[in-house]
Amino acid sequence: MTVFHFFNCAILTFGPHAVYYSATPLSEYDTLGTSVKAALVYLGTALVKLVCLATFLKVSENESFDPYQELLKALIGFIDVAGLYFALTQLTHRNISQNHKFQAVGLGWAFADSVLHRLAPLWVGARGLEFTWDYILQGLEANANLVFSISLAALGSLMWLRKNKPKTLVPIIYACAGIVATMPSITSYLRRGLGWHFPKVVGFELFTSLAMAFISWQLFSACQRPSA
Amino acid sequence: MAARDLGGRPVLESVYSVIALVFVLVACAELCDAATVVDVYRLIQYDIAGAPFGSRLAGLNHHASSLHFPPGADLSRTVLVIPVRDLNLGYVKDYLSQRQPLGGLLFLLPQIFSFESKESSGNGEELLKNIVMELEQLLIHTNIPYPVYFAFENDDINTVLADIKRNDESGQPATATTGGYKLVVSTTEPKKVASPVISNLQGWLPGLKADGDPNQLPTIAIVASYDTFGAAPALSMGSDSNGSGVVALLEIARLFSLLYSNPKTRGRYNLLFGLTSGGPYNYNGTHKWLRSFDQRLRETIDYAICLNSIGSWDNELWIHVSKPPENAYIKQTFEGLSNVGDELGIKVGLKHKKINISNSRVAWEHEQFSRHRITAATLSELSTAPGLFENTGSLADSRNFVNEAAVIKSVKLVAESLARHIYGHQGKNIQIFADEGSLAVNPSYIRSWLDLLSQTPRVAPFLSKNDPFVMALKKELEEHTEEVILQNEVLDGMFTFYDSTKATLNIYQVASVTFDLLLLLVLGSYLIVLFSFLIITTRGLDDLISLFRRPPSRKVKTA
Repeated sequence: MTVFHFFNCAILTFGPHAVYYSATPLSEYDTLGTSVKAALVYLGTALVKLVCLATFLKVSENESFDPYQELLKALIGFIDVAGLYFALTQLTHRNISQNHKFQAVGLGWAFADSVLHRLAPLWVGARGLEFTWDYILQGLEANANLVFSISLAALGSLMWLRKNKPKTLVPIIYACAGIVATMPSITSYLRRGLGWHFPKVVGFELFTSLAMAFISWQLFSACQRPSA
Repeated sequence: MAARDLGGRPVLESVYSVIALVFVLVACAELCDAATVVDVYRLIQYDIAGAPFGSRLAGLNHHASSLHFPPGADLSRTVLVIPVRDLNLGYVKDYLSQRQPLGGLLFLLPQIFSFESKESSGNGEELLKNIVMELEQLLIHTNIPYPVYFAFENDDINTVLADIKRNDESGQPATATTGGYKLVVSTTEPKKVASPVISNLQGWLPGLKADGDPNQLPTIAIVASYDTFGAAPALSMGSDSNGSGVVALLEIARLFSLLYSNPKTRGRYNLLFGLTSGGPYNYNGTHKWLRSFDQRLRETIDYAICLNSIGSWDNELWIHVSKPPENAYIKQTFEGLSNVGDELGIKVGLKHKKINISNSRVAWEHEQFSRHRITAATLSELSTAPGLFENTGSLADSRNFVNEAAVIKSVKLVAESLARHIYGHQGKNIQIFADEGSLAVNPSYIRSWLDLLSQTPRVAPFLSKNDPFVMALKKELEEHTEEVILQNEVLDGMFTFYDSTKATLNIYQVASVTFDLLLLLVLGSYLIVLFSFLIITTRGLDDLISLFRRPPSRKVKTA
């Protein structure tokens, strides 16, 4: 039943990515190459972030919330945004509409994130006899992360790929993108500064991911209208 | 294409090495992530002349249950966790005698039986001690075909037990389908200990030989056996039986070595100090030690005093003899001891037990001496002869039940009476080992050796040939005496022992199979709902329906 549990948590963590790919028109237009390229860009970004964190951050003994360190981490987090920019704009994609491009990039980004951050703990931990809720919560977090990545990719494509945007919406777009980009800092503040437990944090992430997805969908369709 | 091929091979090799590394990492990733890890000590497993006793298995991998299990439940794949405080001995007796199948037994001992606890013994603890002693006697003499372990109570295991009790009372015993706690002890199956070694130590303090005297000086022997036997060999520290005897012997050796170091105060008797092993096994070590004496030495021994359990008495000690009390030596020894006893306020009684030569059971150490025709007596707080494996320094015999003052008084008693006999001051009111003198009994010496003995399990078959503790005893004897000899013998073949005395218990909190199946169902439906939702929102409802229906138009075309 332990390998069973690992299997369960694995399909919770990685299943939605596969389902998203096959359910949406992404599979029809065969955008797998884009997703793979986005995953590789995420890998590169993660390495750069690692090096920066190792150079600039000091290791703290206790789990308290240090504002200066968190600010530094947030700044380094913007490397994520830079990586996404690179993936969206600089890579050559086949002729796919913007609509599908950001989805494919977001999907590849989220999949790489899940694999890198969650596969190893899952393999090592979920196969043991001892039962904890941690791995199920981690899977839910991966789901929320998928939604966040796709929202961020949508907002990013709005910011950098679409030239004619309604003026009033521009600051909202940038604000939402800023919120989504600093999501890791916000969750770490909740966990350390306010002392929330893991289930509460995951619930918050799921809720905000759905909210941000809705907002970015509205923004995207609002920006779609002038060009249509 | 060609460029890719040329660069391809080293890339391929590096990919293979990375894959191999990943496989190695994956294979070694077997972390122990148990809720609780506890040190447990196994019940002893031994055979007497082929008849098996004790717990015959060591590995454990079953669900845990407490005593509140629903009646009629099948326990053959469950481990019963029983705290000794709530033990109902009759129930366990019935269970063992009816040979009901059980996955395993785990007894939780109160902290007072461990060395680290500093609780003093009160009335409740005496009751506990008796219960533990009875339990031990029951377990030692039964053949138990499943693993039996002992552990000390601590906070972790108490919370686990409380949880188990709650689950049991709500009518849900832990099995593979309902979750609960799983106890796992992964250890190899126990193997026989080949040729168990018993090591006897002896030290010799030569007396003052007058010039021109061709005769051999008479010898007095002081003997104590240092090894123990108990239900859990890794916990058999035997503070009273016979740690107190060993400590008293070492202190007497120290005092007499001080006296004998100066030729003016050296007595006209040789002193032979013996630390024997194999005590619980009918004093097998003593027998082998005496057998190795040459005839001259044997003839010069006037008498021997054996020390056995002198650590927890109040005001009464017993001298046990096997020769009739009318024997001159016995009378002399007894009178000497009781005179000193009167001065110290100790009542010394005499008990006579005849030896039955045909019976191989040797209850006291002096009986071995008597079988080799040496006069001997045992000084002990026990008034009756212990049976086989009784009072051999088992679980219940912990440091908290030993009284240092009692050991100190015993040392004074034996040393004074010996000294008066050696220097010929019988009947005179002289205190050679007075307190505040230079020959006073040293309480911190006694305390530190008693503490050391209470932390060292000393079951002879599990002491290796050059065991550090035996070497420490040898070194200590060398400090006080001359000519220390270590004699290694093989234990009598009637007893066979099996190893694996200590292990670690992992307690896992496991989820039931139904939980996993339920989770699979929930996740499956979640993914299906997600799939349908995404198809509907991005492609439209018709696409979803078209997935399930084959397009009928093709058939029309071919027709």
